[in-house]
Amino acid sequence: MKLTIDDVARSLDLPLSTVERWIRQGRIPIKRSGHTYTFDRATLERWAKSHNLAFSVQNVVAAPEADLSGVSDSVHGGETLLSAMKRGEVLYGIHGNTVDEVLAAAVTAMGVFPSEVKTELLGRLLERERLTSTGIGKGVAIPHPRTPLSDEIDRSVIVTSFLDRPIDYLAVDNRPVFVLFFLLSPTPRQHLQILSRLSFCVRDDGFVNFLKSIPDREAFLARIEAFEMALDQKGLV
Amino acid sequence: MGRMIPLRYPGKWSIFRLDDRMLLILMGIIVGTCSGLAAVALSRSLVILLEWTHPYRHYWWALFLPASGAMLSSLFMNNIVKEGAGHGVPEVIYSVSRYGGLLRFRSSFSRLISSCLTIGSGGSAGPEAPVVMSGAAIGSNIATFFSLNERQRITLVGCGAAGAISSIFNAPIAGMVFTVEVILGEWTALNIIPIAISSVAGTEISRLLQGNNIVFDHREFDIGFPDTLASFGLAVLCAFTAVLLTHALRGMPHHSARLPLPIWVRAAIGGAVVGVIGSFFPVVLGEGYHSIQEMIDGVYDPGFILVAVGMLAKVAATSFTLGWGGSGGIFAPALVIGSLAGLTFHRGLAFVWPSVAWVNEGCFALLGMAGLISGMLQAPLTAVFLIIEITGDYGVILPLIIVSTISSSVCQYIEPASFYLKELVDKGQLLRPGTDGRVLSDLSIQELLEKDCISVTPDMLLRDFIEIVKRSRRNHFPVEDSESGHYLGMVHLDDIRPYLFNPGMYDAVVLEQIMDRDVEVVYLDEDLTDVLQLMDEKHLFSLPVISNKRFAGMISKATLLDRYRQELRVQTCR
Repeated sequence: MKLTIDDVARSLDLPLSTVERWIRQGRIPIKRSGHTYTFDRATLERWAKSHNLAFSVQNVVAAPEADLSGVSDSVHGGETLLSAMKRGEVLYGIHGNTVDEVLAAAVTAMGVFPSEVKTELLGRLLERERLTSTGIGKGVAIPHPRTPLSDEIDRSVIVTSFLDRPIDYLAVDNRPVFVLFFLLSPTPRQHLQILSRLSFCVRDDGFVNFLKSIPDREAFLARIEAFEMALDQKGLV
Repeated sequence: MGRMIPLRYPGKWSIFRLDDRMLLILMGIIVGTCSGLAAVALSRSLVILLEWTHPYRHYWWALFLPASGAMLSSLFMNNIVKEGAGHGVPEVIYSVSRYGGLLRFRSSFSRLISSCLTIGSGGSAGPEAPVVMSGAAIGSNIATFFSLNERQRITLVGCGAAGAISSIFNAPIAGMVFTVEVILGEWTALNIIPIAISSVAGTEISRLLQGNNIVFDHREFDIGFPDTLASFGLAVLCAFTAVLLTHALRGMPHHSARLPLPIWVRAAIGGAVVGVIGSFFPVVLGEGYHSIQEMIDGVYDPGFILVAVGMLAKVAATSFTLGWGGSGGIFAPALVIGSLAGLTFHRGLAFVWPSVAWVNEGCFALLGMAGLISGMLQAPLTAVFLIIEITGDYGVILPLIIVSTISSSVCQYIEPASFYLKELVDKGQLLRPGTDGRVLSDLSIQELLEKDCISVTPDMLLRDFIEIVKRSRRNHFPVEDSESGHYLGMVHLDDIRPYLFNPGMYDAVVLEQIMDRDVEVVYLDEDLTDVLQLMDEKHLFSLPVISNKRFAGMISKATLLDRYRQELRVQTCR
C-alpha cells in the first residue's frame, strides 16, 4: 500500500516538517524515483516497530486537523439531538394517570426495540424514577436508565412521547408533565452531551410553548434542527 | 529516443534497488579514488616545488621564500576562492554535525593549492588536513550530484576523509580510524563499510601511482622492559608539548589580528619569521618528513640542547605559519615535533641513566610522534594505527599504546576539547550523533508547536471568555490585538478561577484586566537549547512562541519529551 507524506505524518502523529526533515536526512525509508518519492506501508510499519515508534494508519481516517471546528466537533462526538431523535421515534397520545403507567404505555408503544429489551428497559427506567423524578421542569421529563444501554444500542436514541393529558410527575417545579424525552445512550459521555443539548432547548420558553402545541413529526424535527444550528453557531455546547 | 539511464538517480538502478548499502559501497570506491588522487597530486606537487626551490636554498634571500609562499597562499584563499585560512578539519566536522555534510565544490581544490604554496615554499605546515578537506568536499559534492540523502552524504564525506588519509600515508586502517574517531564521531554498521572500502581505494591509488612504500622505513627495534616503563614519562612530555603547540596555534591569530595590515601582509610577515627561524634550524621548514626519517634512522646529529630548542623552534615556526595566515594542517608538524620530543627525552634518559641499555633513539622518535598526534587530536586509536602503518613496525605496539593513551588523557585533563574541536566546542557547535545537543539541534520549534490554543482579544468580556474556556482543551489563551493580530499577553485558566463561579463578574471584567503581559516568550527561530534553559531557569512547563509579533503556538515540555524520544530512537538505532 502506497502512502503520501501527509498520510505518513498523520500515521506517526508527527508534524509534516519532521517527516520532511527525516526524508532529507535519510532517516526514514522511502522509495525514491528522481525528485518524487513514495512510502511503502509494510516497510514503514517494520521501520516504526524497530524504532519503537507508534504507527497507525487508522489515524489517516481520523483526518480533521485540530482546528477550532474540530475541537467542538469532537466534543459532542458528531452526536446531535436531531440524529438521536431521527433514530428514535415520536409518539403521540400516550395515556396514563401515574408515572408508572405512562412509562409502561410509552415503552409498549415504542417500535424501535424488541420486546425483551423493552421489558428490561422499563424496569430500569422505573428504577431511575424511584431515585428521583426526571421531570426537569416546564412540563418536560427526560426518563432514562441509570446506567448506559451499552449492549443494546451503539448510538444514542431519543424517543419523544407526547401525553394525551398532563400528569403529575413529581417534577422539580411541581408542574404537570406533558412530554417525555426517553434518552437512551450507549455511553455516559454521549448521555451527558445529549442531555446538555436537550436542557438548552428546554430552557427556551419559546421552544416549550412550541412543544405544547403538539407539533407533528416533521415540524418538530425541523424546529430541533434550527435550534441545534443556532447552538452550534454560538459554540455553546 | 530509447529509455534514458537515470544517471543522477542511482537509487533507481535495478542493482541498487535491493539495498542502499550497495550504492554506498560503489560511491565509496569512487570517492576514495578521487580523494586518493587529490592526495597524490598534492604530495607530488610538493616534491616538485621542493626540487625547484632546492638550488636556491643557500642564497641569503631564500629567507624570504616562506614569506612569498604564505603571501601568495593567503591572496589565493582570500581573493580568489574567498575561503578562510586554516586547515579545514573543523569546517568539515561542523558541516557534518550541522549541515548534513554539505561542503562547497571549491573546497575540494582550494586548500590543495594554498597549502601547496605555503608548504612548498618552506612554511611549517602539513598537507594532510588540506587533503582531508578536499576529500571530504569531493565526497560531499558527489553525494549531492547523485541526490543522496544527508545520512548517505555524511558517510561519503567520511569516505573522502578516509581515502585522503589512507592515500597520503599509505595507511588504510589509520584512514578509517581517523574518520570514525575524529570526523564522524560515530561507528555504525552502515557507515564503516563504505569508509573501509574507500580507504582501500585511496591506498590502492597511491600504491599504483607512487609504489607501495612504507613512509618511514627503518630497521627493527629491540624493545626492553625499561623502554616500556620510560614511555610513561615520554607520554607526559608529549602531552605538555601538545598543549603548548595547541596554545601557540590558537593564541597566534589574536596577536596577528592586532596588526592593522591586510591579511596577505600578515601572512608574509609570518612567513618571514619562519624563514628567519629556518635559517638557524632548517629542520622547521616544510612538512619535515625528511627530518623524521633521519630521526627514526638515528642519524640526526644535534645534541640534547639543540634538539630541545629545535622542538620549540618548530612549535614557533608552525604557529607563525598557520597563525598568521598560511595554509596547511598540523599533522606533519605534530609528527616532526613529536619525534623531536622523543629524541629529547631519549637523550635526557641516556644522560641520567647511562648504564641502562636503552633502545635506539629512533624508537623514541616514533613513540613521540604517536604521543603528540594523540595529544593534539585526542584520538589515541588514530595515533596507534597511524604510527604502526607508517613505520611498518608492529613490535613497538606496547609502548605505543601506553604513550598514545596516556598522552591523550593527560591532554584531555588539561584541555578538555582537542585542537580540531575546540573552536566548535567553544561555539557550542560540536554535535556528535546521538547526543543531547544533536537531537535538540535537529528538532526545531516549528516541529514542536502546539497549535490548539484558542486566541482571545483584550476587549472580550469574561462571559464570552468562559464560553471559549468551555470548548478549549488548553489552560493557556493567547491574547491578540483585535486589529493588528499582534500578540499582547496570555490568560491562564488559573487567572480567572476566582471569578469563574461569580456570574456578577461576567459582564464587569474584560480580559485586558486579567491578562498577564509579562509572560516569558520564545521566538520561532530560537535554538531549543536556549528554550530549555529558559524553562529550567524559570521553572516553566510551557511557553508561548512568537513569530512576526504574532502568536504561533505553545511549546511544552510534554510534547518536547515525546518528540525528543522519537528523534533519539530514530537517530540511534538502525
